[in-house]
Amino acid sequence: MKKALLLIGCPEAPAQTPMTIYTAYKLRQIGYDVTISSNPAASKLIKVSDPEKNYIQKMVNIDSFIDNLEENDFDLLVGIIHKDAAVSFFVTYYHLLNTKSMAIIFQRDQDLVDDFVEQVKENTDAEIISAKAYHNPTPVRVKVDKALKQLEGEE
Amino acid sequence: MSFCLDTYLQQSEDYEILLAQSTFKKAREIIKKRAKEVIHVKPGEKILGVRIIGVPPVPIGINKDKGTIILTYTKPCNGTAAIELPVSEEDIKQIKALNID
Repeated sequence: MKKALLLIGCPEAPAQTPMTIYTAYKLRQIGYDVTISSNPAASKLIKVSDPEKNYIQKMVNIDSFIDNLEENDFDLLVGIIHKDAAVSFFVTYYHLLNTKSMAIIFQRDQDLVDDFVEQVKENTDAEIISAKAYHNPTPVRVKVDKALKQLEGEE
Repeated sequence: MSFCLDTYLQQSEDYEILLAQSTFKKAREIIKKRAKEVIHVKPGEKILGVRIIGVPPVPIGINKDKGTIILTYTKPCNGTAAIELPVSEEDIKQIKALNID
């Protein structure tokens, strides 16, 4: 089974937790074993949302997990990005893993969306999905569906 | 036991926070302004026992006369900080060996 690492950021954006669970679910549907890398605050939201681990089976700490991360540990890196720090984490994980990657970028402020897209574009070859969104995950979900359908078709 | 930045920041008081809860770009600017020498390393390079998180070019400031370095420190919810802390000459030598410029 192919392995995907889903990297998530600070949980203060309401759309992050549902998009994490949704993306993990869709990735599993197309054949990926999914590991979530997050800080403790974000992982608590997911654990409470999915108490029987129907959607999320594996979770690791974003700070300690990176210590031993090596190239080719995963077949796919997906990052959920809505803060400047998440751009830094995604670019760092990207350079360490050197694997197929996808950045899911959203914010309520279009200038921030543009800034994050620019930084990811300049420093990675990741596929970029971006939308102006914060509370409502739908604009992001629609684009994630399209990108994952395309990913499934490529494999 | 090897030096660990995370433990050091929790247990010591002799470091200076030059910038807190900010962006990586602003931390990069502060390092350029406050360090006499700036080298650049790859994202994810281990500096003082911790992988450095950042967007290239990832700077490390060196103030050899003060025996300090300035580096970025990023956390998901707190953004990026720029921290100046004392290090040994041996640490500076090891850090300089990671320079990609």
